[in-house]
Amino acid sequence: MANSGSLITFPGGEISIEETLLLNRLRSLNSGHKGYYVVHMHLSRLRPGNRKPHFIKIATRNFEDLLANFNVTLYKLSTDDIVLLCRDVPVEEIDPVIQKTRQLFSEDPLTDGDDGSIDDKFTTWYDFANPADLSSFIDTANEMTIQALQRTKKPEENRPQNTLPGARLDPSSAADIRLKLQRVNMEDLIDEQTCVIVYPNEKGKVLFREKFVSMRALQKRVAPDINLFGSPWLFLYLTETVDRRLLAILSQGNFASLNNHISLNLNISSVLGREFQHFHQSVGDHTDKVVVEFQLIDVFSDMNAYGNARDMLQDSGYRVLIDGLSPLSLQFFDPALLLADLIKISWGQEFVADDAQERVEDMRSVIRGMGKDNVILARTDSEDAVKWALSLGITRFQGFYIDNLVNVMQLKGII
Amino acid sequence: MAIQPADAERRLPSQEKLLLDYLRRLEDHKSGRHAVHLLLSNLKSYNRREHHVRAAANSFEALIKELQGQLFILENSDLFFFFKTDVLAQVETIIQKIRFLFSDDPLLENDEEAESSFAAWYDADAQYEEILKLIQGLVNVKEQRKSHARARMDTRAALKARQREGEPLTPEVLAKVESALERADLSNLVRRQFICRIDSQMIPEQAFSEMFISIADLRETMIPGVNLVSNRWLFQHLTESLDLRMLSLLSKTDTFTISGDISFNANVATLLSPEFQDFDDNISAAKRGSMIVELQKIDIFSDLGAYLFAREYMQDKGYRICIDGLTHKTLPLIERERLGADLVKLVWHPEMVDGGEGMHERVRAMVKRANPARVILCRVDNREAIDFGHSIGIGLFQGHYVENLIAEDNRRRELLKLKRRMERAAQEAEDMGNF
Repeated sequence: MANSGSLITFPGGEISIEETLLLNRLRSLNSGHKGYYVVHMHLSRLRPGNRKPHFIKIATRNFEDLLANFNVTLYKLSTDDIVLLCRDVPVEEIDPVIQKTRQLFSEDPLTDGDDGSIDDKFTTWYDFANPADLSSFIDTANEMTIQALQRTKKPEENRPQNTLPGARLDPSSAADIRLKLQRVNMEDLIDEQTCVIVYPNEKGKVLFREKFVSMRALQKRVAPDINLFGSPWLFLYLTETVDRRLLAILSQGNFASLNNHISLNLNISSVLGREFQHFHQSVGDHTDKVVVEFQLIDVFSDMNAYGNARDMLQDSGYRVLIDGLSPLSLQFFDPALLLADLIKISWGQEFVADDAQERVEDMRSVIRGMGKDNVILARTDSEDAVKWALSLGITRFQGFYIDNLVNVMQLKGII
Repeated sequence: MAIQPADAERRLPSQEKLLLDYLRRLEDHKSGRHAVHLLLSNLKSYNRREHHVRAAANSFEALIKELQGQLFILENSDLFFFFKTDVLAQVETIIQKIRFLFSDDPLLENDEEAESSFAAWYDADAQYEEILKLIQGLVNVKEQRKSHARARMDTRAALKARQREGEPLTPEVLAKVESALERADLSNLVRRQFICRIDSQMIPEQAFSEMFISIADLRETMIPGVNLVSNRWLFQHLTESLDLRMLSLLSKTDTFTISGDISFNANVATLLSPEFQDFDDNISAAKRGSMIVELQKIDIFSDLGAYLFAREYMQDKGYRICIDGLTHKTLPLIERERLGADLVKLVWHPEMVDGGEGMHERVRAMVKRANPARVILCRVDNREAIDFGHSIGIGLFQGHYVENLIAEDNRRRELLKLKRRMERAAQEAEDMGNF
C-alpha cells in the first residue's frame, strides 16, 4: 500500500477505466495544482431504486454545458459516483448544476442537506490549493481505483435488485415463454413464506403462509437466457398464466385439513376467471383460510374490476390483501380507501432516515385508518425493522429476517 | 327433509324485504313510535365482522323480549330498530353503549361528525315518508349488487364482447404490430382534441390541444378484428411503442407550426429513454414551455421512484405534467399536489350527477382537494357534464361535446363575419348611391 497522499501504481494499470484515467490525470498535474479543485458527487450512496443506469445517464447530461464552456473534466466512476475536476471555474457556475442534480434525486435522503452545509452528504469538495485536501482526495482516488479493479473481476455481485441475467423480454419471447408456462412442471417450484404475528415475550403465531412460484427458479426452467423482469408489462402479462397454473395445482389440495391459513398473490383478472371458480369449489366452506393478495398497480389499473373482485371475495368469506405498498407510495395515497382486509407495506430504510418524520407520520395515519392488526410489514430484513414496527403497534411480519425467526420458533415449538 | 343452508337462505325473504313489509304495515300504527338507524356500515371493515354486529344487535334483546321494539339487521351490517316512544331514554342508553364498543373506530374519533354518521333518529309518525324512501333505496342497492355479481361470472357476456370487439390481443400479434409500427407512417392517424375553458354561455375558449394516435383507427388500418385493449398489460407495452412514434411525429417541423400549447401521452419509461433525450435536444426552450405530458396513473404507481425522477427532470426543463385517466373512484386516492402534477384529468361519468346529493358532495370535495383550477373534466359528451363541472368549480373541459361547441362557435363566428361583410357591402353600396 502506498503512503498516504501519494499516487499508487498498480498491476493492471494498463486497464482504462474512469478511475485509472482520473489517477493518470492527477499524476500529470503533479507539479501545478494552482486553481484546481474537485467536486465529488456520491451518487453511489443513493438508494438502489434511485440509482438506475438511465437516471445516472440523465444526471450526467446536466453537466454538458459546463463541460463545453469551462475547464472541467467529468469522471463517471464505476460506482456511479461523479467526479468533476475543475480549473479556475467560478463556483457560481458549478453551484446551479449541482443543485439541479440534487433536485433530480430529491426523494432520496442523501440529498437532504444543502450544498456546503454540515448535513451535506451528497457532495464533497476538495481545493487542491490546500495540501491536506489534495492528499485526502488522492487517498480517496486510490481507494476507489482499487475497489473498481476488484469489481471488474467479479461484476455479478454488483447487480441491483430485481434483475435477472439475460436478454430483455420482448413480445415474441413473451409468446414463447407463455406456451412453455402452460406445460412446464411447476409444482416443485411452489415456495412459501410465513407471515407471523409477534407477541411480547418472544411468542408468535402464524397468520398465513404465502404460496408463490419462485420466479428465479421458473426463469431457469423456461427461459434461462431472458430477463423476465426486463419489461414490467410483459412480466405482468406472464403472471396471468402463472396464476392459472398455481390455482390449478392448489385446487388439488385438501382445504379441510389445512392447518395454517394460506395466501396467494393473484392478478385481479385471474380471480374473475374459470380457474379461480374451480379453486373456489375446492376450497368449499374454508374460504376463511385463504387470503388473496392483489398488487397495488393492478388495483389502480382498473378500480371497477378491483371493486367487483373484492366484493365477490369478501362476500364469499375470503380476505383481500393489498400488496406492493412502500414507504414512498404511502405519501401519495391512503390505502384504507381501498376497503381491503389487510395491507402489506415493504420495510425500507426510508422509515428511519434522518428526515423520516413525515414518512413515519404517514405510516401512523395508515395504521389508524386500517387498524393495526391489518397492517403487515413485509420484506422485514432486520431486528431493527421489527423493533421500529412494534413501536408503532405493528405486530404482523413477513420477510427474510422473519424466516429465520420462524425457524427458531418452530425448533422451540412456539409455533 | 333437510334443507341445505344455502337453499334456506335463498328461500327466506331478506331482512331488507322484511323491513319494507314491516314499514308498510306500520303506516296505520306509526304514531307513538320512533326509529333509530345505526350505520355500522360506516365503520372500518375490521369493526364490522359478524361478532361485532351480533354484539350490537344483542344489546336490544331485552327491549325486544318486552315487545317494546323490533330489530332488522341489514346485509351491509346496518341496524334498524323501531320502538315505542315510551322507551326512548332506554334506547338512547343502548346506543351509547354500542358507541362505546366501537370507540376505537376512526368514525367515532371526531365527536361532532360522529353523531349523525353513526346513528340517525327518526320520528316514525312525522318522518314516515323519509324512512320509507331510505329503505326503498337500500333494497334497490342490494338488487343492483346482485345483478353485478351475476354479470361478472357470465361467460356468455365475455363471448359477446369478443364477438363485438374482436379477438383478444396476444403477444404474437403484439410483436407483429410493434415491428410494423416502426416503419408505418402514422401521421394520418394523429388526432387533435381541444381542452377548453367554457363560459356560462357555452362559448369555448381553447387552452391547449391534445395530440394522440387514434387506437380505433390504428386497429382498423393494421389489424382489423383484434381488440387491442383486451389485455391491459400487453396494451401498456404497445403504448411504449406508440410513444416513440408520437415523438418522431412531434419532431417533424410541420407539427411545430401547430398553434397553441399541446399535450401528448407518454410513459415514464419513454421520458427517460435516449429517444426522448434526442427529441428534447432538438426543440427550443420556449417550445418545452408549451408542452404538457400526459401520464397514466398505473404507469406512475408502477414505479413511483422513476416517476418522481422524471417529473423533476421534465418540470425543470419547462414541460408540464398532467395525470390522465382518473375517475371519480380513483381521484380521491391520488394526492395531486404531493405527486407534483400540474394538471389532472377526471373522466366524466353520468353517475356523478345521477348518484344524488351525497355523490355531488364527494365529487366536489375531491375536486376541491385537487384544486379545481387544475382539473380537466374529459370525455365530456353532453351539456349536463359541463353544467355539473361548472357547479363544482371545474373550468376546463375536453370531449366530443366540446368539439361540437367549438364547431358551433366557429360557425357562429363565420356567420358573424359574413354578416359584417354584408353590412359593409350594403354600407358601401349606400355610400356609392350617395354620390
